[in-house]
Amino acid sequence: MIFYICDGTPENFFTAVFDAYNTSECMITSDKELQLSLGCATVSVQTDLKKCERVRRGLKKYDKHAEEDILAALRSFNTNKEQICFLYIKRLLAHKKPIRNAFSLPEVVDLDTILHQITYEIHRFTGFLRFKETANGTFYAPYSPDNDITDLLMPHFAARFRAPFIIHDVKRKIAGLFNGNEWIMTYVGDAEICLSESERAFESLWKKYYKSVNIKERPHEKQMKGYMPVRYWKFLPEKNG
Amino acid sequence: MIDAEKLEILTESAKYDVSCSSSGSKRVNSAGGLGNASVGGICHSFTPDGRCISLLKILMSNDCIYDCEYCPNRRSADVRRATITPTEICELVIGFYQRNYIEGLFLSSAVFGTPDKTMELLIKTVEMLRREYRFNGYIHLKGIPHADDLLIMKAARLVDRMSFNVELPSEKSLKLLAPQKTKQSLLLPMKNLQNAITYDKVNKVRRKDAVIPAGQTTQMIIGASPETDGQILKLTEALYRNMGLKRVYYSSYIPVVQSNLLPTVGAGLLREHRLYQADWLIRFYGFDVNEIVDEGENLSQEYDPKCAWALRNMHLFPVEVNTAPLATLLRVPGIGAKSAYRIIEARKFGKLEFEHLVKMRVVLKRARHFITCKGKFYGVENINQVKNCLLLGDGGEVTEQLSMFSEKSVALSALTGEV
Repeated sequence: MIFYICDGTPENFFTAVFDAYNTSECMITSDKELQLSLGCATVSVQTDLKKCERVRRGLKKYDKHAEEDILAALRSFNTNKEQICFLYIKRLLAHKKPIRNAFSLPEVVDLDTILHQITYEIHRFTGFLRFKETANGTFYAPYSPDNDITDLLMPHFAARFRAPFIIHDVKRKIAGLFNGNEWIMTYVGDAEICLSESERAFESLWKKYYKSVNIKERPHEKQMKGYMPVRYWKFLPEKNG
Repeated sequence: MIDAEKLEILTESAKYDVSCSSSGSKRVNSAGGLGNASVGGICHSFTPDGRCISLLKILMSNDCIYDCEYCPNRRSADVRRATITPTEICELVIGFYQRNYIEGLFLSSAVFGTPDKTMELLIKTVEMLRREYRFNGYIHLKGIPHADDLLIMKAARLVDRMSFNVELPSEKSLKLLAPQKTKQSLLLPMKNLQNAITYDKVNKVRRKDAVIPAGQTTQMIIGASPETDGQILKLTEALYRNMGLKRVYYSSYIPVVQSNLLPTVGAGLLREHRLYQADWLIRFYGFDVNEIVDEGENLSQEYDPKCAWALRNMHLFPVEVNTAPLATLLRVPGIGAKSAYRIIEARKFGKLEFEHLVKMRVVLKRARHFITCKGKFYGVENINQVKNCLLLGDGGEVTEQLSMFSEKSVALSALTGEV
């Protein structure tokens, strides 16, 4: 078994697909905590843009949405994501026609699963993200999503807000910055925030509202937690005090 | 800024309204404006009762001239009263919206002064939000019965959705429990709004000028009056077909008010749950009410309505998954809209076996008794055994509400446009 070790970038992954394509027993991974067993070899993949381009062209030839799907799937927190994408690409290139709806194929189901996790998490954070108003009028939202979705979330908020805002993925130390007109992505470690005067008042009104709108006579905590998993609560004011 | 106690009073007065969705509107942001609407709707939080918070649900006032028997805010009730101004509401909406606490506003009010005066103040509020604050987020406005038609039409051009609550499932119960509201005062404005929507559609009125792009909804209380599920669903079907409503909400009666005319026990969540299941069958699964339940009867507590229908119609089963048309697949217990569409797509690539369905994560606990895969049957033959299996299989969901946002059904809600 040969392990192709990627650096996490899409270009590097597509190069690995090219290199591994004709290897019979192999896996592609970027998992840093990979445990190797006896008889395994590792290859550290060196990005080669020509190889990368050939794989991308191959994808486009048979399914014009496939590349988009693969790029999205590579943002998954699933440590098996490269292998899932690799097997999907192999199957697509063998089939020579779109296979996105062939749900009887395990490769399709696996890719569909991680894509669904990502789109569902984006949808959830369009609701669960919480902004705080800072003293200079910028709105700041820290969060810690499972998947790397910040740049996919930015367009939603850029379309509805006019005030500048920052969405900060504190785990990956990256942030999307919006200046009221356009947005960019950048690295941000720790952010020091000075809140506006009215921030505390709005937050406490929100907590009051959250408490008042609940119907005590029909408790259903299990359902609440199903819809709004506890791991997301850390950044929700209504679930903290 | 609004006083915290007023917010508490007016929220607690508004919380029994079940409607929560922010779906159905594609309103876009304007230059220099704040907000837009997301067509699938967005939930921003969930409360310990399992319900979602999407819109800021609040009354402008709970100081009511009416004396509806079931209502905690009725004139003769001894409760704290409060009224807030349009400015206070606008500031709260904008403050909450900018922090992404909410998707918009669901504004309602007790009737204070006259119905027209109340309606005028509601309109003033949404007008202020749209014009002065340039707010383009979602607004759901409750219609006030007996208010002037023109006022209602004016409101409809400003908001995304309106609702008049039918309150109770029959005219007789309405007379008894809400004597100041009449059937006409609720149904006539609904009909007028429907006509206005049709007019805009026929005359291709631009989206931003059209009346209530997200349509109308209504709500009724279940279990405060003696109507059967059959009667309730018959009314529901008529509201969907004749009034073009987007949703009918059911609110299981909770005895919060002491009255000789009202039962002392609540209707329970299971009844509400079964009604919603039947409602879904009518809207998305091609069922007629007559197939689900007889007018004088209630829905089965043991089996969900689709299961109960299938058990009464065993001669139609099993169906072959590789050839059955969509409409037939949708009628198989356990196969939801999403699974049905997936099966249709997947079988274009080759015949499906039972193992394929497992891999596609079609829920087979119930479905296996009603299907064959390539002619092979994987369920139990004897109908009594099937009934037992289904009973056990249904055990877990007895108290659950419809899970519209469970992982598996998100694509479905996108598909049906109803979240």
